[in-house]
Amino acid sequence: MTEPTESLIKDEHRAVIGQKGDPVKVVVSGDDARRMRDLLEDDDPRWADGTGIAPPYVLSGLAGGRPRGQVPQILPNGILTQTEWQFHKPFKIDEELEAVGQVFDIRDRLGGRYGYSILVMTGTEYYNSAGDLVASSIMTITQFDPAGLKR
Amino acid sequence: MTIYYEDIAVDDELPTIERTPTEDAAIDFFGRDNPTNPAFRDAEVGRKQGFGGALVPGNLKIAWLTQFVSSWAGPEASVRNLRVAFRRPDIAGRPLTLAGRVVDKRQEDGRNVIELEVVTLAEGEPSVRANVQVDVPSRG
Repeated sequence: MTEPTESLIKDEHRAVIGQKGDPVKVVVSGDDARRMRDLLEDDDPRWADGTGIAPPYVLSGLAGGRPRGQVPQILPNGILTQTEWQFHKPFKIDEELEAVGQVFDIRDRLGGRYGYSILVMTGTEYYNSAGDLVASSIMTITQFDPAGLKR
Repeated sequence: MTIYYEDIAVDDELPTIERTPTEDAAIDFFGRDNPTNPAFRDAEVGRKQGFGGALVPGNLKIAWLTQFVSSWAGPEASVRNLRVAFRRPDIAGRPLTLAGRVVDKRQEDGRNVIELEVVTLAEGEPSVRANVQVDVPSRG
């Protein structure tokens, strides 16, 4: 792909920046936790019986709450290139959490491994039923066109 | 095994572990019904996207890193924060070595904070770099 001479980010794309999505219910089921725990070969006794505290990493494997619908797909492919997770409080298997996603920024990137690409920064906050912040994440997805990928 | 704040020193290295991600691992991680990039479970799609095969999901590597640190620190510790930079895509079937080192320790606000640098190495080169903060218990 030839690098574009002007940004592919349009006003309609920028319009989503700063908008919070509707809250989404997220429940970590016993099956989710067991499946991931087994895959990771995690024998931590805190979540061994699959009924109490959930392993915190399960949130990273669940799609719920991420602002997918809000994120404009400007280039055909996307890959996670940076992320930060903060875990504030433990949460339990089958506990209902509320996730709120937001697009923080959308910007062009010139050059690099992916050629002309677009960085989309999003965040998600997870709250428990008491309204306490349980976890939060920030992700940068690099959108790219495979034709521009440098091998 | 519990590890205590007093027993940890800056420059301590975590015992390395090896993981070999597979396409099935990606399916197992997300669950069959969760929407994900098809390149995670199909090498041909990964090649069409410009990679050398099926991509290893970044979120799977985050979970591995979290569990790697959590397992070292023991069941009384809590991973509080991870900052992760994905330097190069990883391809299913290629083994990854997880390695880590203590870079700082401090006591603040009643917490015993350990800061680590953790990496995944693919063929000896870092593919993921992470800074991880974990709270550990004290003997005091």
